[in-house]
Amino acid sequence: MIFVRPPGPVSPALTRRAPCWAAPLLVAVLGGCSSEARQLGPTAPQTRPISNADPRIPAYQANVYQVAQGGRYFGWYGCGGCHAEGATGVLNLGDTQWKHGDGFADLFTAIADRHGRLAYDRRVPVEVLWQLTAFVRDLPAHKAEKRMRTARDQKAEPQGATWSGPQ
Amino acid sequence: MKRLLRVSLLCVFVSGCGGIQSPLAPAGDQAAALHGLLLLMVAVCGVIYLLVLGGLAWSLWRRRPAAAGDNEPSDAALGRGLGVTAGVIVAGLTVLIVGSFLADRALFATRAQPAMEVRVTGHQWWWRIEYRDAAGRWIETANELHLPLGRTTRVLLGSADVIHSFWVPNVAGKIDMIPGRRNLLDLTPRRAGWYRGQCAEFCGAQHAHMALDVKVEDATTFDSWLAEQGRPAAAPAGPRAAQGAAVFAGPCGICHAVRGTPAAGRAGPDLTHLASRRSIAAGTLPMSRGGLQGWIAQPQALKPGTSMPAVPLRPADADALSSYLTTLR
Repeated sequence: MIFVRPPGPVSPALTRRAPCWAAPLLVAVLGGCSSEARQLGPTAPQTRPISNADPRIPAYQANVYQVAQGGRYFGWYGCGGCHAEGATGVLNLGDTQWKHGDGFADLFTAIADRHGRLAYDRRVPVEVLWQLTAFVRDLPAHKAEKRMRTARDQKAEPQGATWSGPQ
Repeated sequence: MKRLLRVSLLCVFVSGCGGIQSPLAPAGDQAAALHGLLLLMVAVCGVIYLLVLGGLAWSLWRRRPAAAGDNEPSDAALGRGLGVTAGVIVAGLTVLIVGSFLADRALFATRAQPAMEVRVTGHQWWWRIEYRDAAGRWIETANELHLPLGRTTRVLLGSADVIHSFWVPNVAGKIDMIPGRRNLLDLTPRRAGWYRGQCAEFCGAQHAHMALDVKVEDATTFDSWLAEQGRPAAAPAGPRAAQGAAVFAGPCGICHAVRGTPAAGRAGPDLTHLASRRSIAAGTLPMSRGGLQGWIAQPQALKPGTSMPAVPLRPADADALSSYLTTLR
């Protein structure tokens, strides 16, 4: 289909320039597009973080997708059995009072090596430990509103009264 | 030459009509009802299309009656033509409405009867399948749905994460799988064979790799298959399989279950009878030892974005593990 501009003076609406705040707004909106950018494919870390300043950390800690994946595994592995909301003392992960340090490598070690016979270093693949660590370090930033949304999202996962697995 | 071209062109168009994933080759009562409705709709719309073209040709062909003074001339033929057109439209719509009503009744004809229940839960990106056997026990498997020939199976559809859609075109129409809701679909297959289902609602990066193998088999074969699926896994035979089982108990059992062993994870598919299935990872790879080993080594290369993480294993362990998995029949 072809649209032909009618003859006569061009309407002022067509010549008016975009307002000055449009460009910054566009940048602000599109800036969010990279917050969960990820490499699809076999680029996962094969080893633990070497220190709290490991150069691979930002790809996990600053990435919404990796943090969210950590949250899914957190639920699937039953971490909430001890570390659910309302847990107190050392079990509370949302208060930043982590006993073994708050660096990425510190928390990674605490998850992998400090769960006794649960032996997560042997049972949980390295990449998932990276995601779990990123998620746990992200927990203090989860305000009530976000926690409510997360709870609502995860409601669809079969659990409790909605359990659909073998009885 | 021209004729050959025409025939081959026709073949290209018609070749899409059969096969294992087509609503045009119905293999069950529900699919047949929908197929009948489709044929009725094509027939009615075809007739209407021809009538419209005929009316257009007539209007181009006929002479306009001469005007008498300033008034529009009266045109008896046009008045009759308009009357016939209105009648045909009403008749066509009536036929379609009645056909749609009858097809709808046919889809729900079995709803009041008791039927075997099967839960199918959509996950990103695979299908959890649970059968309720005669004793009321739920038997879990994944990514492969077996249906008894001539019996009605009631599929209870749900989702664990986002909206998926259950669609096995040869057996029935599609219906969405919505988190927090339970949708029902009755299936009464009438033709044995393998069919292919596919998630029909975009559900993320690997939506295309969310396929479902469906096998329709006679009732006796089905019953023995279900009994076999209900059994726990056999103990590993031989030292190699035993080594594989030991490897499995480490990083695999946290997400996957093999009944009869300590592995009882529920984040991933039940692997108790993995090797009896036809494909790996919801139709991504054919079932073979090489396929299993490749899938374990680099799942992100084969199905980028899958929640199955790459598990770093020593080559000898990976070999023993795939050897163990092929014994899970």
